[in-house]
Amino acid sequence: MDEVLAVSELSAGYRGRAVVQGIDLSLRRGDILGLLGANGSGKSTLIRAITGQIPLIGGSVAIDGIDLAAAPERAKAGFGLAIEPHELPTPLSGRQYIELVASIRGCAPNDLPSGDLLERLDLGRWIERPIAEYSLGTRAKAAIVAALLGRPPLLIFDETLNGLDPVAAWEVKRIIAALCASGRHSVIVSTHVVEAVPTLCNRAVLMADGSLDRSWDAAQLAEAGGAPGAFEESVMQALRVRAAA
Amino acid sequence: MRHDRLVLILLWRELVAGLRAMRRRDLAWIAFGGGGLAAYAVADVVVALHAGAARLRHDQLLWTLGLPLALAVLGTAAGNAVAGLCLQRAFAPFLKALPLAPRRRRRMAGEATFALAVPLGALIAISVGFACAVIGKPWAPVWGLSAAILFALGFGTAARWRLRRPRLLLEGAGSERAPIGRPWIRRLDQARPSWLSSWAWKLPGGHMRPSWKLAAACLLPAVAAILGAWASLAGRTAGPAAMAGLAGGILVFMLSLRCQPLGSPVLRTAPIGFTRVWLRLVRLPLQLSLAFFLLPAGAALAAEPSAWAVPVAGGFWLLVLNGIYAVFGAYFLNAPFVAMLSFAGALAYAGYETFEYGRTVLIGLAALVFFLWHRTRQRYRNG
Repeated sequence: MDEVLAVSELSAGYRGRAVVQGIDLSLRRGDILGLLGANGSGKSTLIRAITGQIPLIGGSVAIDGIDLAAAPERAKAGFGLAIEPHELPTPLSGRQYIELVASIRGCAPNDLPSGDLLERLDLGRWIERPIAEYSLGTRAKAAIVAALLGRPPLLIFDETLNGLDPVAAWEVKRIIAALCASGRHSVIVSTHVVEAVPTLCNRAVLMADGSLDRSWDAAQLAEAGGAPGAFEESVMQALRVRAAA
Repeated sequence: MRHDRLVLILLWRELVAGLRAMRRRDLAWIAFGGGGLAAYAVADVVVALHAGAARLRHDQLLWTLGLPLALAVLGTAAGNAVAGLCLQRAFAPFLKALPLAPRRRRRMAGEATFALAVPLGALIAISVGFACAVIGKPWAPVWGLSAAILFALGFGTAARWRLRRPRLLLEGAGSERAPIGRPWIRRLDQARPSWLSSWAWKLPGGHMRPSWKLAAACLLPAVAAILGAWASLAGRTAGPAAMAGLAGGILVFMLSLRCQPLGSPVLRTAPIGFTRVWLRLVRLPLQLSLAFFLLPAGAALAAEPSAWAVPVAGGFWLLVLNGIYAVFGAYFLNAPFVAMLSFAGALAYAGYETFEYGRTVLIGLAALVFFLWHRTRQRYRNG
């Protein structure tokens, strides 16, 4: 199956109040989707709904062809989410956290896209220390490694790349690009670093007020990325139009 | 926002935020359901006091020892808990950058503790005074006032002790670097998902650090087990050791069960179901509880071999009670103390009503346990 994620007419929120609504989204293998939007636009709520952390008020989510509501455990095997750094199990060491996730996913702790991933991210020297001692960026690295474990078809990074140092961010972008180029994976990158989107992603969507406001396909992104600042300008214009409406 | 009332303001805002975060349906359940239940409980207590008024009025042991001791213990526990609550707010991480000296923070916590002690003391005075009036005890208001004074003495002593040691707050903050190397708990904590118990017990890197709390938690059940076994062997009767095994076993289980990983997105977004995680969290505490039970149960069997059914029944009831507490512990996943209180309250209330209405009340307890389990499972799946 080519479609990794199918979101149809999705509405989700908190305490019965919809924060995101009417979301239709489809991701195929090889897609790298940049998820953009202002604070409070609903990016994290959408990701929470896709990953089964909050109940759906309406619509459906299918991951790798498996309906999330009908078979949550099987569906969750289809994605790897980089957990927000403050939600990692701080008493465990980085290695123990990786072993925990590997034991849940039923794979070996070294089943990673790259054998030397820990060294590439400069995580090796921290791996035996409790996560409580990690900086924000080092926690983000541990979360990314855990998301990549078992090489699930869908990878989700919710602003995780923002806290990385330049070398680690570059390495993660290389890994994402290589995974998607293999044609077996798809990635969602939620970010505020707008200028990084044309170089990393082949699709982008802009969220505003809980719905998808604008989208760019590969050709539009390539065109916008051709001139310096052109993509940022088009995103800002969309945000200004939305604010004025 | 003025500094001198900062702790109280923080506590008040947390309460308001907690109430606002609840659904209206849940709030209505708590207000009307809980209010109705409380009114029924008060009426029931009044009826029971009326029935035993003559005996209670003249029970010298109760008035000279039982009640003062209970009030002092209650005051001590409340003082320790309230002072800890206030200290945590005064030394909250987000306040670290503010130019407030530790002495000023302690004072803020102390003022908030005192402010919270006043309504608690008034509640004790009214409750005891009212109970004395119901049973016709002379000088009911004086008894109420005396009870409040005793409670305040226990509260003040414990709170003062706690407020003078705010460094206790820093224990869990990871200020001390964890040792590196393979922790010995590795062998016990390898079942899928591995390291779950180390996470639940907040063992840094899976390493257990010796502490006074841990020593006390080990020593108390051990002394109870030894005393129970000794009483059984000396009296040639299985009862005391079996009871010590049952009580100590459930205590060990309650002290060792921690379920906060159930609320984490690490597990909730992973391909693993609630029941599997819950059983995994219960596994090690259950093993500890049963291991503790074996010593007094063995002593009970040695003391009275013909009464083998007594330790067997004790073991069965230990499993049942551990199972019930495991549900309470999972429901109140971030508040084990509240889980313990609720579990003890539910058992005591079910036991009391069973005397009055028969064993059908136990169906209500079973329904409550199933409801809590269902809600916890729903929360794990849907947030």
